[in-house]
Amino acid sequence: MEQPDQLIHAMKAGDEAAFSKLYGMYSEALFGIIYGIVGDREVAEEALQDAFVKIWNNSASYSPGKGRFFTWILNIARNTAIDKTRSKAFKNSRKNLSTTNFVDILASSDNLNKKTNAIGIKKYVDALKPACIKIIELLFFKGFTQADAAEELDIPLGTLKTRNRNCINELRAIVLG
Amino acid sequence: MSTEEIISSGKLELYVTGSLPAKEAAEIAEAVRKDPVLQKEVEAIETSLIQLAGSVSPGVASTIWSKILNSIRPVRTMEEPDTRSVNWAAISGWAAAVLAVGGIFWLLNTNKDLQDEIELTTTENSDLREQLQETETRLAGSKEILNILRSKDYETILLPGNRDVAPEAFAKVYFDKTNMVAYIDSRGLPEATTTMVYQAWSLKLDPLTPTSMGLLDQANEVEEGIYKFENVPDPDAFGITLEPAGGSESPTLTQLYTLGTVSP
Repeated sequence: MEQPDQLIHAMKAGDEAAFSKLYGMYSEALFGIIYGIVGDREVAEEALQDAFVKIWNNSASYSPGKGRFFTWILNIARNTAIDKTRSKAFKNSRKNLSTTNFVDILASSDNLNKKTNAIGIKKYVDALKPACIKIIELLFFKGFTQADAAEELDIPLGTLKTRNRNCINELRAIVLG
Repeated sequence: MSTEEIISSGKLELYVTGSLPAKEAAEIAEAVRKDPVLQKEVEAIETSLIQLAGSVSPGVASTIWSKILNSIRPVRTMEEPDTRSVNWAAISGWAAAVLAVGGIFWLLNTNKDLQDEIELTTTENSDLREQLQETETRLAGSKEILNILRSKDYETILLPGNRDVAPEAFAKVYFDKTNMVAYIDSRGLPEATTTMVYQAWSLKLDPLTPTSMGLLDQANEVEEGIYKFENVPDPDAFGITLEPAGGSESPTLTQLYTLGTVSP
């Protein structure tokens, strides 16, 4: 998917309609990321709202020359979600969700009913090696830096890069065919 | 680094997930911007990740977008009623403050007025007390004089007017021979001018020796027109002359207004 630079430019200029289109394009993915971090629908919805308000308010600070728009809003979404998990109320309400990852969430019947696409993805994600699930979880869903992820997985940085590339290649084959 | 080398390095995947250090990310961004092949590669990586994340989403509720709009359009939507209620709070707050300040000034003013009144009343009281004292003093004087008139110790001597000077004039002397005290009533004398004063004399007749008793002035006045003199030398007669202010050592006989003898 090509980056919608014109919409981004219009949003930076205060165009609500452009912002609405970008929301339509990215909100589902960001909600998946946020939900993967907080594991609670209500909290995730709050975080998603907060994240998009931040995207709108800080849109002037994004420039396409610096990196991908998706990377920029992905960071905002992850940081907003992580902030939510740090609140005391969240810590008290959260029970046994600390060990879930995106595959566990994907496996829940709730999601499968809603998203026809997810069924297909689930089938292949199930085929992803446990090492791939772990690496994608850390780098994409949790926002670890490459150095932190290598340390967490106790593998050299070079191995991390190669393994991550192979895992995403597998994902691309599943998703894009 | 060639295009192929960059692709196989695995940096593009880390670039999209935001896992690269800032410096490396900037280098990749620059390389991608220049190279359509890298651009396509990045887009493919990104799309697969977006699909994956979206598949994990439990479904975004349709209400979320309107909540976001409410947050980014505070003035047109939520703030209006809010502003009004905030204003009411502010208005009543200010009103209360103004009333309180007004009340304080009113109380201070009232307090000052009351203090002024107290001061005025105190002054009036002291004036009244002075008047009372004066009245009491006068009453005492009047009582004394009344006692003298009634007393058997005092002899009343009429001093008729001198035919040559003031035939209509007269004066009365009340004289206590035992204690040598005399009161002179000047009601029958014409009013003296400001530069002149009446002077009382006790007289020995043989030979004629006048001795000054004193002036009919404020220093000796005990009641309006009544003057008291003590230690009066034993007289044969009393005389009153009009003298220049301050009095004279010997009487000016041309100005002898009244003269009367004491009965033996």
